[in-house]
This record gives sequence, structure tokens and C-alpha cells, in this order.
Amino acid sequence: MTSKNLGRATLAALPFVLALLVDLVLHLTVKDRLPARLAVHFDAGGSADGYMGITAHLLYTVTSLLVLGALWAFIAADGKLYGRAHRWFIGGGFAVAAFLGYLMIAVLFVNVDAPESGPDGGFPLRHIAVALGAAVLAGVLGLLCSRLVPAVEDPRDADPANRERIALADGEVAGWARGIGVWWAPVAVLVLLATGVTVGLEVNWFIGAPLFVLALVVATFCRPHVTVDRRGLTVSGLLPRPRVRVPLERMAGADSRRVNALAEYGGWGYRIRPERSGVITRSGEAIVVSLSSGREFAVTVDDSATGAALLNTLLDRQRTGR
Amino acid sequence: MLFRVDPTSTVPLGDQIAASVRRAVAEGAVVPGERLPAARVLAESLGVNVHTVLRGYQRLREEGLIELRRGRGAAITAGASPQRARLLERVREAVADARDLGMTEDELLALVRSELDA
Repeated sequence: MTSKNLGRATLAALPFVLALLVDLVLHLTVKDRLPARLAVHFDAGGSADGYMGITAHLLYTVTSLLVLGALWAFIAADGKLYGRAHRWFIGGGFAVAAFLGYLMIAVLFVNVDAPESGPDGGFPLRHIAVALGAAVLAGVLGLLCSRLVPAVEDPRDADPANRERIALADGEVAGWARGIGVWWAPVAVLVLLATGVTVGLEVNWFIGAPLFVLALVVATFCRPHVTVDRRGLTVSGLLPRPRVRVPLERMAGADSRRVNALAEYGGWGYRIRPERSGVITRSGEAIVVSLSSGREFAVTVDDSATGAALLNTLLDRQRTGR
Repeated sequence: MLFRVDPTSTVPLGDQIAASVRRAVAEGAVVPGERLPAARVLAESLGVNVHTVLRGYQRLREEGLIELRRGRGAAITAGASPQRARLLERVREAVADARDLGMTEDELLALVRSELDA
């Protein structure tokens, strides 16, 4: 682990460690005034409906904060989140730590001097509001703190002038096609189908039917293919429609580069983000098209270098009017 | 896989499509098991007739480079190695040269047989 990564990991884990220390100190100060079993779960009205021993509760607090802290540290050190995503991730960690840390302390304090059956006043719901407020404040603090560690460099620094081309003769027509393996699509279809049918039967079909339709749409995209040709870049499923197509007229250039599904697109599937959209089936190499509008469109596909080179060649052709 | 066809060429379009796949196999750009685009998709992409694409695919099947399965489309066969693709390309060149020389089919086959027996 480099010193930069160590710094990032420490900062990511810091809020959880702080929350743990505060919880432990407060636990020690009120320990003698706690009942043998703590009320730790409350119903929507705030009345206690779940109990735990003092030691068990202490273990639970320590373990959950430690595990979350380790998780945050690991992801931060992994270095796959860069730029703004990294800062939001750190801020998010601060917010989660503050929220959980506050709630655990609040649970502890409502139990102080309370009878075995649980605190008389129950769990005042204002604690939730305060926890949320603390989360927001800590999140902002985390965002500010994240500027203390150097940001991970963004790998997207391709020089548009040096983009690869494919030598085509005058009048030669070229097309590039490649299938994308999406191993999780059948799983998603099954889950959607099951949920759709269950919701349809148990609740009502107004909610169930759209899930069912969504499952069918995903099913046609179980084995999608990407084509690059004179019409632009197309991602299509089993049937001619639905499909996603970016015409050449809307493109400024194309690159082949590695993308990170979670950090850049916030997940998998057909993703639409403020500055970019794309069909993202995995992290890894992708054709990334720079659009004339300044946005980006990406498709994760193997041999993306050839696809991007052909797109640039076709764009040259269009500009010179051949 | 990159497909390129030149409508102004005298070579039939189906053969040009087959040549694209052969070249991709020879260069190692595709590996056994990989699927070819559906004929309809490729035809639309290149602006040619579906039957033209199917003719090209049929030719590749006869050469043993791809297998066509109903409902599953075309896929590169397990035996389609770069060497095999290059050999096929040389056979095609030999046949074209023999035609240019005005040789008959029997004469060419006799030549090949004598080479095999040697």
C-alpha cells in the first residue's frame, strides 16, 4: 500500500473509529446506571419491542462500526474511486458513521435508569431527526476533509488528436459487431419476474405488471450486441427494438478506455448520469464516445479499440464528405 | 469483429464478408466459440442483402471456420485456428492463380494430388 493509499484509507476509516471511541467512552460512563437488558428495538410509535444484553449490545456496536470502517478503508485504498466519486465516498462514510454512532448512543441513553421492561418514554422519534442532521453535518465535514488527501488521478486523459484509425479504401463499407456477455442479466430477469408475479398476486397488478414488462425488456438484452457502422454506434438486444443508438452526427470522437461501473456510472445496466450515460455491463474496457453536446456515451465491450478506431474513421469520412 | 466490403470490387459481396471473418481468425482477433453477428444485423449494418451475408456464412461453414446452428446463430468452430484460416486463404489464391493460367479443375486437382503423393 502506498502512503497516498494509506492516507485515503485512514481518512475513510477515521469517522468509524471516532464514533466507536465516543460510543465506548459514553458506555463506560453510564454503565452502572443501565438495566441488565437494554431495549434496542422500537416500533414505529417508539415503544420498545426488542431487547439485548449489555455485553451483546456492546459487541454489536463495536463489530458493526469496525466492519463498516474496514469496508470503507478497503474501498478507499483500492483506488478505484477517483475525483469527485472519491470525495463523495469519504463524505458518505462520515455521514453513515455519524448516523449510526448517534443512534447507538441515543439507544444507550434512553435506557439509563430505565426499568427492565424498557424506558417509560420509549424512544423519542426526534432522535432520528437529530441523527439525520448529524449525518448531514458530518457528511459536509467529510467532503471538506477529503480535500486533505490527494485525489486519485482520473484515467480519462486521452489525446483526441492521436486517436487510432482504420485504413479504408474509397467506397469501402465497414462495420464492426461484437456481442456482450452479460452473465447477470438472466438472474435479473428471474428476480424481476418473481417479484412482478409475487407483487401482482399479493398486492396488485398495477405494480406487478410493470415489473413483469421490465423483466421482458431485460430478457431481450440477455445477449446484446454492439455495432459500429455508417449509422453510428448501436446497442441492441434480441429484437430490433428497443435499442440504444448514437448517430455519427452527434459524435465528436471515440476512445477505448477502461471504465469503472460503480465509481463512474453508479451501477450496472443502462445508466444515465449528469455528464455521461452508457450501457455498462461490467467494469473494464469500453468504447467511450465524446458527444458534440459535451456529454459522454459508453458501452462496455471487448476489443473496444477496434470499434473506437472505426468510429473515428467513419467520423473523418463524414467530415470530409466522402 | 471488423467486416469490410467494397461494392465496387468484382469480388462477390458474400465472399468479401467471408474474407473479413477469415482475416479476423488469421489475425487471432476472434477465438473459437465466439459468435458472429446475426445475418440480419450484419446485413443492415453493411447495407447489403441478408441472403448475401448468409451466402458468406455458408461459405465459411463449408470451410469449417464457423458452425451454423438453428436458433443459436453462427459461431467460430473449435478447430478454427489462425493457421487454418491462413491455409484457406492460400488455397483460394492458388485456385485464383490456376484460373488465371487457364487451368481446368482436373489439372489443378492433379497438381494437388501429385504434391500430396510426393
